[in-house]
Amino acid sequence: MRIVVAYKWTRDPEEATVGADGTVDWSRAKPGLSTYDPVALELARQLAEAAGAELIGVSAGGKGVAAPIASKAALARGLARVVIVEDESLANAGRGELAAVLAAVIRHIGDVDLVITGDSSVDVAAKMVPTVLAGELGWPAVAEVAAVSGKAGALRVERAIPGGVQVLEVSGPAVLAASADAAVPRVAGMKELLAAAKKPVELLDLAALKVPPSHAVMTVTGRSRPERKARKGQLIDTTDPAAAAAELVTALREAGSLERNGQ
Amino acid sequence: MSVNAWIIVGDQPTIGNLITVARALGGPVGAVVAGPRSVAETVAASGVDKVVWCAASDDVPAEANAPAVAQAVAADPPRVVLAGRNPGDRVLLGAAAAALKAAVLTGARSVSADGEGVLVVNAVFGGIAEETVAVSGPVALLLDGGSVPPADPASPAVPIEEVAATPLGLKVIETRTSGFDEVDLNSAHRVIGVGRGLKAKEDLALIEALATAIRAEVACSRPVAEGLNWMGKDRYIGSSGAHIAPQLYLAIGVSGQLQHMVGVQGAEIIVAINTDPNAAVFSQVDYGLVGDLYQLVPAITAALK
Repeated sequence: MRIVVAYKWTRDPEEATVGADGTVDWSRAKPGLSTYDPVALELARQLAEAAGAELIGVSAGGKGVAAPIASKAALARGLARVVIVEDESLANAGRGELAAVLAAVIRHIGDVDLVITGDSSVDVAAKMVPTVLAGELGWPAVAEVAAVSGKAGALRVERAIPGGVQVLEVSGPAVLAASADAAVPRVAGMKELLAAAKKPVELLDLAALKVPPSHAVMTVTGRSRPERKARKGQLIDTTDPAAAAAELVTALREAGSLERNGQ
Repeated sequence: MSVNAWIIVGDQPTIGNLITVARALGGPVGAVVAGPRSVAETVAASGVDKVVWCAASDDVPAEANAPAVAQAVAADPPRVVLAGRNPGDRVLLGAAAAALKAAVLTGARSVSADGEGVLVVNAVFGGIAEETVAVSGPVALLLDGGSVPPADPASPAVPIEEVAATPLGLKVIETRTSGFDEVDLNSAHRVIGVGRGLKAKEDLALIEALATAIRAEVACSRPVAEGLNWMGKDRYIGSSGAHIAPQLYLAIGVSGQLQHMVGVQGAEIIVAINTDPNAAVFSQVDYGLVGDLYQLVPAITAALK
């Protein structure tokens, strides 16, 4: 059995700043594995250990995704090897294009039984790359997967549905997007990081993958910082907490904020 | 009739907003339904111009019909294809986007026709910034689905065109109810957000008492869910978490970083309590209380009695 984990090396928007003109400044944000990808890596690792499967990491993106620090961070989490496409043109690629590149990488690897990803990337948070990837491969996809067990051709996949859990049987290859709490990632220690430095890293040339081009052209014609709603901006004097509380409650009642099942 | 916009529907006909967006673009609107026949019937009466239903057996989840959905959409390529945000619908939209080789946008604040193409104001990086994007060629849009559309009294239900579907290898073998207290921050009228100003997990009892008094859901900023683990991840508000629009948002001990506040921009009234008079949150509130939450929160709870 061969399991692929698609992971992302990127920056966290929590660390970015946004200018008045809407430009995003990433200079203070440190690159790292996308926040929930260690969960996907752990989920895949547990399944691979139980099934005796080969575990391969794949990633595609702009400059930096093939840097040793990036590949080691992924390899230290149980992967046997990684296959990476680093190309400047992918830095601003759309979700469809990125998914098409990942599909080409998975075809290049060959004989892949299962692809596991995070459900959402920390930066773009579109939650669409795994689903378009499955569409490209013609495989079924299940999103927000909570648990997975079994082996190739007969997987049991659990996912949360409103008010409960549904168990699915998956036959044949599939793409699974893991929910943020599907597994608790192990911390990669010094031993794992040292071992990671010796594991194989395969770099693929984007042009050689002959990825079918998108039929859409996106042009960014403007940027802005989201408009804020006008707020009252009224400060309530808190010298006497009880009086302040009474003033707030009165104001909220007058505004109708406590109606509908409230008091 | 060539379809201008396809709406993709899975298990639930919660597509009211999708119909509104599709209608505003002009031209015929079609719907492809991958879920049960009853969903297709609701959709057929909602005022769309055409409904295609991918028939499949009951033990197969909607996602298994992804190829049939993609095929139906690609057979009559639209300008836009739309779907709601739940996991099953995302999977179906992904398959259609792959078949169309479409651009994929997930943060659309507004969508308008622009010559042969589409102009989208799109929130990026969890909503901290917005881009206006001109797209030529097919576009897949993931949007808030909205509510179940009422039957359109002006037009009779359109016929349901049934297509044969060969489902992918997915089968439902068990459904369990969790009895777990699920939080739906989006439907709460009032939400209290807790930040790092709260000193200990036990102190959440203070917040819970206030929440009970005003019948609010309790949510938090990202560090409270992810660093401190005081609450589930489904309760954190912000760019990568929940985006909510309640009647009242009460930020307690929240500093008010942009990444948190983008998640509550839609709130009608925002109130903040923070000891730091210079906290960023005070520039974005309707009512601000500078002071100790340990005094003010119980005082507010008492004032409600």
